[in-house]
Amino acid sequence: MPDPFYDPESEERLGRAFDRRLIQRLVQAAHPHRGLIGGSMLLFPMLALAELAQPWLLKIAIDDHILQSDWLGLTRVAGLYIVVLLILYGLRTLESYLMELTGQRVIHDLREAIFGHLVSLEARFFDRNPVGRLMTRVLSDVEAVSEAFTSGLFAVVADVITLVGVIAVMLWIDWRLTLVTFAIVPPLALIAVYFRLNARDAYREVRRRLARLNGFLQESLQGMAVIQLFVRERHERERFGRLNSDYRRSLFRSTRWESSLYASVEALGSIALALLIWYGGRRIVAESLTFGALVAFIQYTNRFFLPIRDLGAKYTVMQWAMASSERIFGLLDRQPEIVAPAAAAPRPARSSAPALEFVGVSFAYEADAWVLRDCSFSVAPGERVAIVGATGEGKTTCARLLNRSYDVRQGRVLVDGVDVREWELASLRRHVGIIFQDSVLFAGTVEDNLRLGADGTVSPVELARAIETARAGFVTQLPKGLGEPLGERGANVSYGQRQLLAIARALVYNPAVLVLDEAMSSVDPESEALIRQAMSGLLAGRTSITIAHRLSTVHTADRILVLHRGRVHEEGTHAELLRHADLYARLYELQRGGAPA
Amino acid sequence: MKRAIDALQTHPATAPVGYDVALIVLFAVGNGVARLGSRFAITGGCQRIEADLRNDLYAALQTFPPKFYAEHSTGDLMTRATSDLSAVRSLLGFGAISLVSTTFAVVGVLVAMLAVDRWLTLWALAPYPVLLILARRFNLRVNERTEAAQDQLSVLSARVQEYLSGMSVVRAYTLEPRARADFGQANREYLRLSLALARTQAGFAPAMGLIAGVGTLVVLWAGGRAVVDGRLSLGALVAFNGYLAYLAGPTVGLGWTLSIVRRGLTSMQRLQEVIEAVARDLPGTVVAGALRPAWTEGGLIQVRPVSGMAIGAGAVRADCTEGGLIEVRPGSDMLAAAPGLRVSHLTFAYAGRPAVLRDVSFEVAPGETVALVGPTGSGKSTVGLLLARLWEPPPDTVFLGGHDVTKLPLPSLRAALGYVPQEGFLFSRSIEENISLGRDGMGPGTLRGAAEVAGVADEVERLPDGFGAVVGERGLTLSGGQRQRVTLARALTGDPPVLVLDDAFASVDAAKEEEILTNLRTALAGRTVLLMTHRLRAARAAHRIVVLDAGRVVETGAHDDLVRAGGLYARLWRIQQLEEEIARA
Repeated sequence: MPDPFYDPESEERLGRAFDRRLIQRLVQAAHPHRGLIGGSMLLFPMLALAELAQPWLLKIAIDDHILQSDWLGLTRVAGLYIVVLLILYGLRTLESYLMELTGQRVIHDLREAIFGHLVSLEARFFDRNPVGRLMTRVLSDVEAVSEAFTSGLFAVVADVITLVGVIAVMLWIDWRLTLVTFAIVPPLALIAVYFRLNARDAYREVRRRLARLNGFLQESLQGMAVIQLFVRERHERERFGRLNSDYRRSLFRSTRWESSLYASVEALGSIALALLIWYGGRRIVAESLTFGALVAFIQYTNRFFLPIRDLGAKYTVMQWAMASSERIFGLLDRQPEIVAPAAAAPRPARSSAPALEFVGVSFAYEADAWVLRDCSFSVAPGERVAIVGATGEGKTTCARLLNRSYDVRQGRVLVDGVDVREWELASLRRHVGIIFQDSVLFAGTVEDNLRLGADGTVSPVELARAIETARAGFVTQLPKGLGEPLGERGANVSYGQRQLLAIARALVYNPAVLVLDEAMSSVDPESEALIRQAMSGLLAGRTSITIAHRLSTVHTADRILVLHRGRVHEEGTHAELLRHADLYARLYELQRGGAPA
Repeated sequence: MKRAIDALQTHPATAPVGYDVALIVLFAVGNGVARLGSRFAITGGCQRIEADLRNDLYAALQTFPPKFYAEHSTGDLMTRATSDLSAVRSLLGFGAISLVSTTFAVVGVLVAMLAVDRWLTLWALAPYPVLLILARRFNLRVNERTEAAQDQLSVLSARVQEYLSGMSVVRAYTLEPRARADFGQANREYLRLSLALARTQAGFAPAMGLIAGVGTLVVLWAGGRAVVDGRLSLGALVAFNGYLAYLAGPTVGLGWTLSIVRRGLTSMQRLQEVIEAVARDLPGTVVAGALRPAWTEGGLIQVRPVSGMAIGAGAVRADCTEGGLIEVRPGSDMLAAAPGLRVSHLTFAYAGRPAVLRDVSFEVAPGETVALVGPTGSGKSTVGLLLARLWEPPPDTVFLGGHDVTKLPLPSLRAALGYVPQEGFLFSRSIEENISLGRDGMGPGTLRGAAEVAGVADEVERLPDGFGAVVGERGLTLSGGQRQRVTLARALTGDPPVLVLDDAFASVDAAKEEEILTNLRTALAGRTVLLMTHRLRAARAAHRIVVLDAGRVVETGAHDDLVRAGGLYARLWRIQQLEEEIARA
């Protein structure tokens, strides 16, 4: 089955209005709210009844009281009318609130389900689906689905009930007059369908052209320098103008269909009215119909036409909703590829196995662009290892395989002698902590960010010690100290301070094995010195792998692995490798800006 | 209708109902046609205004220098060009229609009602003051609560964005439960605020209905009494009721109309901000270009292109001489042969930042190839931007063919100077269009020739659609190197006498780069070339090399001399060799 996620066209597709499979899923989604939905449905007959009572009262007022000059009776009917109005007011308010309540609850639940599902999906999924698109699922697609309930399902049920009621009352008042009204239905239906279909096609064209126009505009904004450099302003402006007027024309076409629909329905309604007066008038003359009945009948006829007119609009709403729910359910049905095994292997109480081990690991992100090929190495408990290598040699990939962000293609990754695929996922990630030095800070206070992921057992004293070890004392100088809120992505602390916070956070998280992904970009020398001190505090007495992008921290490592062409090319201490005068020596010289070591 | 009913009542036997029925139909059709006509006219007009506004906005955007785009994100500008523009359209379209039609409806209905019965009209209008007060108060509350809900929605979407972009950290720290809880809390808050809004809204429309219903009732009751007393005909009462119904609709919609008007005005303001940025940015910068802004009534900008501007291969005509600009005509000395380039005591800083270039001076003689090298951040690219006047250099610092570039008309400067930026920006159009950019006189032969020199012709021809292949999101994706070479071909087709290449081969592998440079050497014989590069192997072939470091010229000379000198260039050369050794290992 093609994955709807890789199909960019799916964003613009209209669904079928009624897809039984999707409707079933929607019903399932609505199931927790069946009480609310049932309640709303119960309101509909009552509403219809109250609505239908109004013209009826009018009829009684005219026939029985006004025409009979019964002043007292008229006042009584007026009183009754007020009661009906109040009831109608109450019912409508309740109905409108219940609809919104149901819709919003469905939205809330679906959002929660989608987001909860998203965070459980594997890294590969995020590589292929840009965040923007996923946000559309969580934020706007969900709204369209809720529309399926409020404007679609509910409205259709309400309309059907009203229609049935209106027809029944009309038949009861006078079946011959009713037939006159019905005579209008076939042309009305034809017109409604014809105009609606055209309006929908026109609208689809509007969307397509708008997308094209906006796409062009966005591209122009990004490539404005090119346009200016080649003095193509006028040429581009003309192109834009053409797209713009294409869009305008299609918009006008759509407006024309839409307005014509309403106008012709209204005209037909007036024709029906004329027919009623003409035919009803003759019946009144013949005294086989009362005035009141005719007046009431005219009002019922109005109520009869409204739902028929709006039916088409509801159809379109349903189509959009179906397209959205297909995308949503497609996402929800996607099973996470990386999950904990059904029965996690028991961890050996005290094993003599290496803390970390790669055995013949091969890995590629895409098809056969191999990043690691048959790569093997191991790290003993308590050992501090650094991995170095040129850009793109798979250093960071090693870290990602260790915490099962990705699964190996071939070979095995072992932690404490147990294959990572047999570990319980959460405890593996608790045990092997991957720390990104230039890490993301989340909106929240400094303390929130430090305690991130650590269970609530961290005491204030431990927190203070972590801050001290991480040389992150600057936090106490912030206006609100640990309670200082951090802006989006840590906007209000400097880049160097962010790295110190990341180190402090790692100390608080306190994993048994630490994989440190060094920051790529450099900071000023002063911060650099602080960070180096903090890092040695972090690594002290811990099994660790440092992914070194800058070689500034590797001298102190117990062992250095040099990755090259997907394998460990050479290994040893800093001094040994320099003596060896192979890749490492060159890399090191490169880092030092061409000055030999 | 009134006439029909009254006729029925008074002369049951001889009532000329048919005539009245025909009248009703006639009026109904007339009303429909008139309404359609006015709708088409108004909506069509508004859509035209919107389209014009969009064109104006686009034209204004074209005149902004890169500085403007550095300060405004594409997302922000897009929002203005889309949602704000459509809000303005709603203001013009819907707002205008409903304002006009409401006014007419109210006046017409009032006149009609007064004509039927004065007292009854007073009775009928009694609830309306209440209605208006209620609508106003409601409108305020709805606005407040809508805003609160919208703000919370932004919070919610910020949460989603934050966690989804930081998924690697979420995984590493097993933050999934926390992310869910965090999202759940924001989600619940949004639910609460939406429901608060729903509560306000739920009561309103029914309340309007209730009041309108009471109005009907009052009419029915008071009017009924009048009918009973014989002061009013039954037909008049029924007609009166009908008129009243006409009045109810626009009144109920009043709140909505008001909010559309308010939103439209805010958006109009935001659009003005963009369009007026021209006034802030233009003086002293790009004014000398082909586009001169002029203000027209209503504060909207119109940009009028200077006529008679046609740029073909190597020929430049620019007819704008106003403001002391130099006139450049075909065959003028500047373009006849390759002009030289001169940078003299150039110090430059981007606004609010330390200087990136300090007292830089160097010269490229006509027909000479000079390489500008230096570590990342040494200011190489800035020199290119200033030469092409994408950023405005200080006066009397940068010269082309002996003329200060700030005094040259932009079209002629840019036609003379083939500038290839580092980033190979391609439009989602065919490769052919990307190279020609719609310039005149670019036959397939010219395009292919340029593509060949740029070393991309063979690869393009191997594509299914060849030069017709469409680049972009839904078309074909080119590698970074291919993009750069297509951009180079784009510059070459203009046949510029001066070529400025800003690290134009960064994504092309070294072997390919040398091949292209060899091609270029033949194709560009006699032309002035400034080559910015971080690949010294490419720089080695230049006549002269200028070495930049931290914004200053530190060394100048030929490759061998510089290597022997043992300065910065020699160190960079050693680094390059190490990299090659590592890559070969």
